[in-house]
Amino acid sequence: MATTSEPLEPSELSEPALSVRQVLTLERVLAGEPEVVAGAGQLDRPVRWVHVAEAPDVGVMLSGGEMVLTTGVLLAGDEDKQAEYIRSLHRAEAAAVVLGLGRAFPAPPDVMRRVAERCGLPMVVLHRPFPFAELTEEVQCRLVRRKFAAVSLSEAVRTALTGLITAGAPLQRLLDEVASHSACPVVVTNLAHRVLATAGERSAVDDVLRDWERIARQAGGSAGDGWIRAELGGRGERWGQIMLCGYRGDTATGRLLADRAAEALVLHRMLGGSSAHTWEEQSAQSLLTDLVSGVVPARQLLPRARAAGLPVNRRAFVPLVVRDGEPGQLERVLRLLGLSGIVAELADGATAVLLSLARDQDAAVLTANLAARVRSESGAPRTVVAAADARTAWDEVPAGLREAQHVADAVADSSAALDLPAVVRLKDVHLRGLIRLLRDDPQVQSFAERELDGLLSGADEDLLAVLRTYLASGRNKSRTAQLHHVSRPALYRRLEAIQGRLGVDLDDFEQAASVHIALLAHDAQQG
Amino acid sequence: MSRVIRAALFQTAWTGDKESMIQVHEQAARDAAAQGAQVLCFQELFYGPYFCQVQDKAFYEYAEQIPEGPTVRRFQALAKELGIVLVLPMYEEEQPGVLYNTAAVIDADGSYLGKYRKTHIPQVQGFWEKFYFRPGNSGWPVFETAVGKIGVYICYDRHFPEGWRALGLSGAEIVFNPSATSRGLSRYLWQLEQPAAAVANEYFVGAINRVGVEDLGDNDFYGTTYFVDPEAQFVGEVASDKETELVVRDLDLAKLREVRDRWQFYRDRAPGAYTPLTAP
Repeated sequence: MATTSEPLEPSELSEPALSVRQVLTLERVLAGEPEVVAGAGQLDRPVRWVHVAEAPDVGVMLSGGEMVLTTGVLLAGDEDKQAEYIRSLHRAEAAAVVLGLGRAFPAPPDVMRRVAERCGLPMVVLHRPFPFAELTEEVQCRLVRRKFAAVSLSEAVRTALTGLITAGAPLQRLLDEVASHSACPVVVTNLAHRVLATAGERSAVDDVLRDWERIARQAGGSAGDGWIRAELGGRGERWGQIMLCGYRGDTATGRLLADRAAEALVLHRMLGGSSAHTWEEQSAQSLLTDLVSGVVPARQLLPRARAAGLPVNRRAFVPLVVRDGEPGQLERVLRLLGLSGIVAELADGATAVLLSLARDQDAAVLTANLAARVRSESGAPRTVVAAADARTAWDEVPAGLREAQHVADAVADSSAALDLPAVVRLKDVHLRGLIRLLRDDPQVQSFAERELDGLLSGADEDLLAVLRTYLASGRNKSRTAQLHHVSRPALYRRLEAIQGRLGVDLDDFEQAASVHIALLAHDAQQG
Repeated sequence: MSRVIRAALFQTAWTGDKESMIQVHEQAARDAAAQGAQVLCFQELFYGPYFCQVQDKAFYEYAEQIPEGPTVRRFQALAKELGIVLVLPMYEEEQPGVLYNTAAVIDADGSYLGKYRKTHIPQVQGFWEKFYFRPGNSGWPVFETAVGKIGVYICYDRHFPEGWRALGLSGAEIVFNPSATSRGLSRYLWQLEQPAAAVANEYFVGAINRVGVEDLGDNDFYGTTYFVDPEAQFVGEVASDKETELVVRDLDLAKLREVRDRWQFYRDRAPGAYTPLTAP
């Protein structure tokens, strides 16, 4: 026998509200030998409450969903009254009627049974005398516990999420918490159905994302059973939704979880004072960072890329890195040009762009257009877009991104001196690229220190800068003087000082080359 | 057998003057062509502000002859240079005092193919169009372009299913719907009516809306330009609701046959029963 003090198991909580069928299988009810005499097809109706009533006009006292218990003492002998009694219960949308057989009705009354059958109202008779109070106590305790459990779950989730928000936890942490309650994938999207964040068991999330395009495009958003959505919005503006994908519990509990999660997400965003774009940026950032790092195999990131709105079927991917680019600015340029791509700031402050082009499109021309437009729109005429060659295989995208990053690093700080084109590639960075790759090598480091010792120990940044420009300009004295705003005689004096300190003759090609390589290595180590 | 074409739409904000507006659109055509787009449609009254927010005869000056006027000539040259079909929604002056809300269609070799004049002219707060335009009298032309059969249905027209159907009956494969429509008024219709028209008439629809709030009124033009296919699926994403954007998409026109083989709406329609629809 169940007692009221036991807490409900989670599995119990996730079942639908108590049904007529479930009430009839309770141990205390079975003692009354219940028999369903009408409406057997409707036994899965939920029972909201149990009500004992003998009044013939009980219908007016009900508000729907009640299981009504009666001995029929006021109905005996009047068939019209019996029929009307059943009809009034039906009109009031009672869940079921339970008639205790005894003095009033020794056997199931035929009229009531027929009317109940016609109305589809479950009618149950109890063959053994049975104290109704026990039944109401039993059922009501269960119903109250169920309600209490729902309130308590709601409260627990809310407390946990509020705690995370006040502790400044990121969006992902909030979603992980929601997923731990829902035990199914949780997905946050913007209005364009782009996936901004996910949580839940990885393989289950991937399954959802793999099919995302179909799911997202379903009109009316009904993706099937267990898909529970809650809108995200506030101050009259809707900006996204959160979805529990394939929630296996009952809809009411899922709804409750989704609503609590939505409230928390809205609060999180409001407190963050952030715009709608921030989550999108975070999503793009985590995707591109994961691609560059190579920690997660590219193949596993494909569903995420697709769900983030990047076209991936039969495409060519162009990895780009812009050193002093602002992600918002780059996104605007992509829109202007009608190019598909994702943009995000990488950990080192550079901005990565992954373009997705149709395979027949000319990647070089479109990259050049993009770079030219970035220069004209940003008002930074020296901005350099580092590009890797287009990749048609998704698996090669990480290597491409790293190549673009490497190129961007190699030309960092030297774009002004070199007067670089708007798009630079690996072949354009020559020796700088190689030095950049080797910059952490201890032998290269000691070589650089040895060669430049005379200047580095003097900490004379001005002489170092002059040397840098002189070598970068191909030992062009007039250009160097011009760039440093000094007269030619003044420049000669500085060059002599440099040669003196380093003990080299810069007119000798090999010595100059050696110093140049050392300087490139020195700069690479600083960068 | 697929028959893929690359089509483009362009949404933008009013720049403040006609010449710079035209230049922005020229650049968009170049950008679209660089991507391999074969056809491009601009927004309604593309080189002007949406002046119908006010009733001021000063804006009659924006009207030009089609095709003799300078803007059509200019874009004919551009279409030829880029090898792209252009749909130019403009303010047309047939003669002084006879003005239309029109779209000119230019083929990829720069030749002028013809025009469609907006049939349904609204007259509501913020959209005082009867002040500026006569109702169109061009019927429902469909243009044989280098890229396929193209129809145009302008802005407010889209609320009337009859014109969509007439364009379908004339063989349109893509119908462009250049618009200028405001957030508060039509946001709830924007992704409903054109997809429904695409399904009902089994062709592609390209819907364009300008962006931003202009000096002439409070209309908040919400962009969200898109292509939708004959199954009401958006082709790629819907554009931004606030920013200038070029939308370039690959459309497989073979989908028309596929869908029409499945749903025989053209066979099963019953024109004989529709007489009441044409009663005055």
